Amino acid sequence: MKPKVAFFDFTGCEGCQLDVLNLDGEELIDLLSAVDIVNFREVKTEREDDYDIAFIEGSISRESEIPRLQKIREQAKVLVALGACACIGGINCLKNQLPMEEALKIVYGKDAKYYDTIPARPVDAVVSVDYYVRGCPPITAELLKVIKALLLGKESDIPNHPVCVECKMAGNVCVFERGMTCLGPVTRAGCDAICVNSGRHCWGCRGLVDDPNIDSEKDILKKYGLTVEQAVEKFKIYNTYAEVTK
Amino acid sequence: MEENSVLVVDDEPIVRESIRDWLKDAGYQVATAESGEEALELIKKQDFSVMVLDIGLPGQAGIAVLKQVKAQRPWIKSIIMTAYPSAETTVEAKKLGAIDYLIKPIAPDDLERLVRETLDSVGREPTVTTEVEIRPKPPVVEVVEVRKTFVITMGSLKSMVESLAREMEVVGVKSRHGKYVYDKIASFEELRLDYDVTAMPLTKYLLPAKETLLKFKVGDEPKVEPVIEAIPKAIIGIHPYDIKAIELLDDVFMTTNPDPNYIARRQNTIIIGVDCLNPSPKSFAPSMGTHLTETGFDLLLTNIGADYMVSVGSEKGADLLAKHAQVREPTGDEIAKQKAVRDEALAKYKLSLDIPKERLPKLLEESYDDPYWESRSESCLSCGSCVMVCPTCFCFDVKDNVSLNLKDGERLRQWDGCMLIDFAKVATGENFRHDKASRLRHRIFRKGKYILERYGRFGCVGCGRCATACLAEIASPLEAFNAIAESVQAKEAAMRIVREVRPEIELYAPRLAELVKVEELTEREKVFEFSLQDGKALGHRPGQFVEVSVMGIGEAPISVSSSPTRDGTFQLVVRKVGDVTNALHNLKKGAMVGIRGPFGNGFPLEALEGKDILFIAGGIGLVPMRSLVQYVLDRRSSFGRAILLFGARAPAERLFLDELAAWSKSPEIEFHETVDRGDENWMGNVGVITTLIPKVDIDARKTMAVVVGPPIMYRFVIGQLKKRDLPDENIILSLERRMKCGVGKCGHCQINGVYVCQEGPVFTLAQLRNLREAV
Repeated sequence: MKPKVAFFDFTGCEGCQLDVLNLDGEELIDLLSAVDIVNFREVKTEREDDYDIAFIEGSISRESEIPRLQKIREQAKVLVALGACACIGGINCLKNQLPMEEALKIVYGKDAKYYDTIPARPVDAVVSVDYYVRGCPPITAELLKVIKALLLGKESDIPNHPVCVECKMAGNVCVFERGMTCLGPVTRAGCDAICVNSGRHCWGCRGLVDDPNIDSEKDILKKYGLTVEQAVEKFKIYNTYAEVTK
Repeated sequence: MEENSVLVVDDEPIVRESIRDWLKDAGYQVATAESGEEALELIKKQDFSVMVLDIGLPGQAGIAVLKQVKAQRPWIKSIIMTAYPSAETTVEAKKLGAIDYLIKPIAPDDLERLVRETLDSVGREPTVTTEVEIRPKPPVVEVVEVRKTFVITMGSLKSMVESLAREMEVVGVKSRHGKYVYDKIASFEELRLDYDVTAMPLTKYLLPAKETLLKFKVGDEPKVEPVIEAIPKAIIGIHPYDIKAIELLDDVFMTTNPDPNYIARRQNTIIIGVDCLNPSPKSFAPSMGTHLTETGFDLLLTNIGADYMVSVGSEKGADLLAKHAQVREPTGDEIAKQKAVRDEALAKYKLSLDIPKERLPKLLEESYDDPYWESRSESCLSCGSCVMVCPTCFCFDVKDNVSLNLKDGERLRQWDGCMLIDFAKVATGENFRHDKASRLRHRIFRKGKYILERYGRFGCVGCGRCATACLAEIASPLEAFNAIAESVQAKEAAMRIVREVRPEIELYAPRLAELVKVEELTEREKVFEFSLQDGKALGHRPGQFVEVSVMGIGEAPISVSSSPTRDGTFQLVVRKVGDVTNALHNLKKGAMVGIRGPFGNGFPLEALEGKDILFIAGGIGLVPMRSLVQYVLDRRSSFGRAILLFGARAPAERLFLDELAAWSKSPEIEFHETVDRGDENWMGNVGVITTLIPKVDIDARKTMAVVVGPPIMYRFVIGQLKKRDLPDENIILSLERRMKCGVGKCGHCQINGVYVCQEGPVFTLAQLRNLREAV
């Protein structure tokens, strides 16, 4: 029997789910012959509460999201965090720097009293996660890699080295040598350095490697002209939740 | 190879047989094939001098055969037959190295003459006679000789590059973001010959960042096929230090265990160098002796103002000039000018070693424990940039990628490097180089010592790329070498030049083996009995290992647990610790796996013969040890006493219960065992394995101790054995490391300068005393 797959969105833009639809025609057909998608708001209105694999998109930023996520964890045999918000908290966590009342006031003004909010957090701050599909948005090739790994029951071997490795493999001239700054040296690879390949720099959307040398990276950012505050800001865009900016 | 052997490939029986008969009558050895597939099969088994190929085989098979032959057997000269000559096929066939063309119907005399001429001539001028032929210009110099230097004008150089581009892919250096990169060249004007250094070396053209080694199918009809691809290429504008780096890569991939994928690319690549006249401020090439080169290129250019000097380094280079360029003898002034520009360039280098490079190995050896490594590596990002940009780095990782149908897949090789955190980590979780300092030291030792000792040339050519790429500014081997400078003389081994190597096509392709029996030993371990599909015995020695593939999951090194003295099958004991071993545990009888090997040295049977043998096995170390114990018991009269000490953590973790019971009763072997912690049913010894050693009587002069167990056990066991006065030469240990490729290439299993998969996994303690990373 084909495993049943369900997608759930929490706090996020739902771009990661749209990205699943960016699989090319043949891949999508192969995927649908390998799994049954029973729950996918971007695609179909019918829903089922019986599923084996749950993809969670978005970070957790409201009290009510916690029991909803816990219920999904109980049902799912395999739980996958999909995208930067789900994996590392992502840009939603920028608000964690403010008192929650103030954040509510900025967003909702006089209607703030009708809403609740809690400091945003990644999925694994609430329940255990089996697989991570990183990035903002995720790379479809990596999504497929993770799906194949979970179908085969093996580890997804997402690299534990920085983006620099893949950036060099792609033959790029280093961003720093071109007079800009970059988070590639501490950000987990797996994206084939897509942003640098397109002429930009790494923003850190895939989160940090397991044992990042943050002090050294900050020194380098300073050496290349950033102030301490600017260096920290650079990390915060995606990685506020991580220890490094605390 | 038969000097006059010809392979005829044509799907029409009448054509095929006529050609065979004509050529046989003319005195040639002839083999025939009726399809591309059959031709490729034949070529795998047998070598030919000439192939006569119908390019119009059904389904593009003709071109495919040509491609494969070019990649796998580049020395076979191909003659193409076609009934419908077209511009496209002519050009494509020529790009793939076809020597000549025959248009059907074919006259016996024409064919025989062509085959004879092809055999007679090495690097003969093609005489293609179809209307699409591009005629080369007549050469001005009558005979272009190797080791000679000529003058080529800018205009002639331009037309040579353009002419080459019509025959093959041309790669050169061009400008990007104010830096320089190797890339495909669309026009001569893009080509920069005055650059300082490229951001990346040209390694990717010989060893791509990612490449497919194998294609496989899993399921009812499992299949494994090597994938070897190469297209002819000319690389123009390579600096001497990079040419020296290619010479090292040749030594690595073309000597022991010749790598088919590398060789296919290397033998299809033309190397056109250029002297570096504007060195990078980070370069110290003169200190490494790589700022000039006299070997390793087909052609080498030097800019002497308006024109270039061109030196011929090979037959291939001589042919190139004869065919594509107009050159003339240099004048005395021009020869003097070449020397002058080289001297000027030499004066521009800003950095140099404080000591002669010959002293480096000894110097490094003495600095192994220097606090320098710790302090220098503090700011290391472990980002791998230094190894990725290094022209002499070649380590790799191998991974499987299956398609979503979970049936077809490929095995991929991609760059890896010893500066990355997980490089030396094994499936059980142990990381043999877990801290930044030991990784930095290892890399610098490779550059200045290990590679020199292994291949006879330094692992650093002084290009300065790593010093540029390292944001933390700690990567430069020059600074490391200078910082630890001290003096002792070391010797540089002899240089080797490797060209006409026959690749080992099946190097990375596993043989299929059937799982004939599987049995559970403990909760975590099962014993698997395999039989090779081709019916052959594995041919191993006790102590060797094999690489086991579960296609789609990956490959893992597993030691052989049975003795070669037992029947044709072989046994592996596998502990569930990673993806591959988990997958193995799910296999049922009848399943097929891939096997490469046996690899490694195995136990020194010759040295053990006639001696008393003290086997000391801890936990899962009994697995490889069992192979040796069985061997000794099967050839009992060749050995003295046999004493086996075995320790497990708990009674439930004891392996091979039947054999343990048999050994404990056998008069052939003295058996003692212990467990770290007993349980209510355990009646035997309790305590760690070292407590058994004082209980046995041994004669230190004629006893060999063979020790296999987890890394933690070795230090304590060695201590006990030394108390019994056993000399280091009589203590034999088998080590565990991450043996990814098994053929001494990927770098993962390295302990200091030694590759465990080649010189190990079995070492005497005397050997290990010089390997600081070992125990």
